[in-house]
Amino acid sequence: MTAAAPIVEGRRVSKRFRDEAGRVREVLRDVDLTVTDGEIVCLLGPSGCGKSTLLRVLVGLLPPDGGEVLAHGRPLHGLHPGAAIVFQSFALYPWLTVADNVRIGLGGRAVGSEEEVVRVQGAVDLVGLTGFERAYPRELSGGMKQRVGIARALVGGPELLGMDEPFSALDVLTAETLRSEVARLWTEGRMGLRAILMITHLIEEAIVLGDRIVVLGANPGTVRAVVANALPHPRQPGTAAFQELVRSVHDIICTTHMPDVVPPSAPPPSAVLPLPRARIAQVVGVLGLLAERGGELDVYALDRLTGFDFGHTIAVVKAAELLGLVDTPHDRVVLTAEGRGLLAADVAGRKQRLGARLRELPTFRYVLDLLARAGGEVPRELLAEEVAMHLPAESPSEAVRTLLDWGRFAGVLTYDPETGMVARAPASALHAARAAR
Amino acid sequence: MDGHASIRPGPDAPAASWVDGLVLAGLGALVAGLVAFARRWHAPLATAAAIDLSPRALPGYALLSLARGFAAYGLSLAVTLVYATAAAHSAAAARILIPLLDVLQSIPVLGFLPGLVLGLVALFPHSNAGLELACIVMIFTGQAWNMIFSFYASLRGIPTELREAGILFRLGRWRYFRTVELPAATIGLVWNSMMSMAGGWFFLTVCEAFTLGNRDFRLPGVGAYVSAAIDRGDGRAEAAGLVAMAAMILATDQLVWRPLVAWSARFRLEDTAPGVEARSWVLALLGRSGLLRRLAALARRRRRVPPRPGPRAGGRAAGVLRAAGRSVLVALGLGVALGVGQLARYLAAVPAAGWGRLGAALAATTLRTAATVALAAAWTVPAGILIGRSARLAPRLQPAIQMLASFPAPMLYPLVTGVLLAVGLPFSLIAVALMLLGAQWYVLFNVIAGASAIPGDLREAADGFRLAGWTRWRTLELPVVFPYLVTGLITAAGGAWNASIVAELVRFRGRTLVTTGLGALITEATAAGDFPLLAAGVLTMALTVVGLNRFGWRRLYRLAETRYALLR
Repeated sequence: MTAAAPIVEGRRVSKRFRDEAGRVREVLRDVDLTVTDGEIVCLLGPSGCGKSTLLRVLVGLLPPDGGEVLAHGRPLHGLHPGAAIVFQSFALYPWLTVADNVRIGLGGRAVGSEEEVVRVQGAVDLVGLTGFERAYPRELSGGMKQRVGIARALVGGPELLGMDEPFSALDVLTAETLRSEVARLWTEGRMGLRAILMITHLIEEAIVLGDRIVVLGANPGTVRAVVANALPHPRQPGTAAFQELVRSVHDIICTTHMPDVVPPSAPPPSAVLPLPRARIAQVVGVLGLLAERGGELDVYALDRLTGFDFGHTIAVVKAAELLGLVDTPHDRVVLTAEGRGLLAADVAGRKQRLGARLRELPTFRYVLDLLARAGGEVPRELLAEEVAMHLPAESPSEAVRTLLDWGRFAGVLTYDPETGMVARAPASALHAARAAR
Repeated sequence: MDGHASIRPGPDAPAASWVDGLVLAGLGALVAGLVAFARRWHAPLATAAAIDLSPRALPGYALLSLARGFAAYGLSLAVTLVYATAAAHSAAAARILIPLLDVLQSIPVLGFLPGLVLGLVALFPHSNAGLELACIVMIFTGQAWNMIFSFYASLRGIPTELREAGILFRLGRWRYFRTVELPAATIGLVWNSMMSMAGGWFFLTVCEAFTLGNRDFRLPGVGAYVSAAIDRGDGRAEAAGLVAMAAMILATDQLVWRPLVAWSARFRLEDTAPGVEARSWVLALLGRSGLLRRLAALARRRRRVPPRPGPRAGGRAAGVLRAAGRSVLVALGLGVALGVGQLARYLAAVPAAGWGRLGAALAATTLRTAATVALAAAWTVPAGILIGRSARLAPRLQPAIQMLASFPAPMLYPLVTGVLLAVGLPFSLIAVALMLLGAQWYVLFNVIAGASAIPGDLREAADGFRLAGWTRWRTLELPVVFPYLVTGLITAAGGAWNASIVAELVRFRGRTLVTTGLGALITEATAAGDFPLLAAGVLTMALTVVGLNRFGWRRLYRLAETRYALLR
């Protein structure tokens, strides 16, 4: 064990899973990540970017399919010897008391019974659960349960604590309390840890805790940027320096997910492109929010209004942009004339306008062409296979779901769940309405 | 299981010494019963015990039957733990074990009978042990399968993060089994154990009294008592036997299953409190025993100084488990290979006429099963919905229906046959009624469960739109109940096929009534010792049941899961 070797290091880590249809989906591709002594690393990314998978690979719960994981400079086989995890859903055993759950964290470690009692009590006291030792998890609130989860992770004296969205199942206030307590325990050095690797989809959470923020992109998960955070503890979200950092991380996410300039390697405009995973109804909702506020907002303000997680807000904005309903100069979202026109129209008019826009999209042109060649209708599975061929990185079932959502909403496609057939919608509005019902 | 699983006194329940007295008396009775049972095993072989029809002999017989039932249950539990754990931990093993379970489940008890009896009696030629073992294993074949399915499903259903926590904190194979898997599976296991005991009693009359070739076999017990009473046309003894059987079921329910159900509630996986707490007066009573409290405290204290199994011990346990799993697989493979060889030889020996008879019998029993299932659905769907949608009625009737379902229907066959013969029905139709007698409860039970699960908001919406009568049934009640109905129908169909064995050939006042059917054919082949025909019959029935499940019922199931599922 050399002093300089990182506690854990992933080199060009890749991971693939099979989806329910048996197709291989790449979740992580060539991810490099190190966690060294004395730091908190936050993995920040939209849902589905493989950040939980990355954590599980680094602590040895899952083997990587490509690349390697090193613990203290040596290849890792099986579990990382000094890692523990705090789980998103707490993962407490409901039939064990608080003390027994915490004791689980000692695992197979041979400690004397005297020391075991002392250690369990120490961990319980540390997280502020004194007096609840004999309670069962179901008697506790969410925040208390996660305290048990933290005590269980700490009781064995790990050097690396993995935290998988530890506060996302809690209400905002409880999450805030627990987050600042973890920050305080860490800065005071009372957890006995050498490093924390935390997963989150909230920018502010990453900045409150993280010394380094690793921004991940999705499909497949790759490292997009690494941001160093030297703000002194305790970090107050109200300060200018904090907000400045929030803004710069926002910018990084926007430029990686919403590029202003088309990169030179981009495919030709006629190609079949993945549709952002947003519902059309949400797109229309976002247009309404923009119209109410003068037709223009910055993307963070919009994000706050929607209440989605940030990645999803971006997806909705991208969908609106793809349909020509908004422009996105830098981090502004601006309603276009087409967008205003759509909002002004009645239900049938909206359908017609959206339909016209969709028919121009290469992806839909391709699908309609496929339908025409197949005599008007194809089974949903066939469509999924075609999509999988053109968009290997996408989950076909997700892509088809989005395709059908857009197509049915705009009266371009119909889908009959009884027969599983996808078809072109008939031209007449009456038919379209009937099909939509 | 860990220490918290001990009995905890309620806050308002003072210790009472008379409860200690009851506990001691109960233990004493248990020991005495076990000694009596063991003595019977050592007694010289008597293949056809003389059955004393006087009511005074009944308590003894009841205890012997009860002991057999629980011995079989112990065997079922052991097999469940090994078989389901092996299947849950190895995808390769699961690919063999789970379909095999499907087949084993559909083999009627008479398919196991000759091999077991002849083999085990030959193994213990001078004592009753072989015959008793054979009887226990036959009861076991009516118990084990759904317990295995339940345990397997529970293990597979453990949430990923709970599983990961177990690996991450290095619980080790054995401790993981004890602290995670066993508790997570307990609720399902207890419920299925209850069902299994009922399933085990179904063929008690057959398991305790049967003819094989030219030999009569009879073991002292309630099943043999009732069967002897039927043979001799002794109505009073028959009634006494039925009462004894009912008392056995009631006692087991109240003294064993209710307390276990109430106790197992602590192993719920979800965090929310259930709507209705299961209660048991026995468990509450036991909580008042000072003796048991002291024992529990002692156990807790012992646990505080635990002999720490180091990681090595865990590794050894894992190795032992893996080796055990592998040897079970090998043994199973060998057994299957031998069985298939023997089966092929038997099938080759069936004459062409035998196959013709088999075809006709299969057609008749298929029709009879279909009629049974249709009749069961026809009355239980409306009745079940009416009961289920009443919040007051459902919880009261549910335990009573469960008791009715536990009662071995074959013991009632002579009674029902007598009534229906008097009405003038031909026996080929009476057999349908007899099959219905046992099978209908599964449907009723499930429909009630479905109807009481109708979500409040859907019901209120139906009230708000003034949906009533047939419209309400069609739009609300039937769709919600449908998935439950399918489950009930599948179970009922399986039960009907199985019941055909005793329903198509009935002894009645010294006469033997028989009709064309696969069940009758199997029974006759057993009695005549015609093993080739028996093998062909059992195989036909097993294949038909598995085939119907695979290709018929599964489609309905998918429809239930996709269109009529309330979640998602």
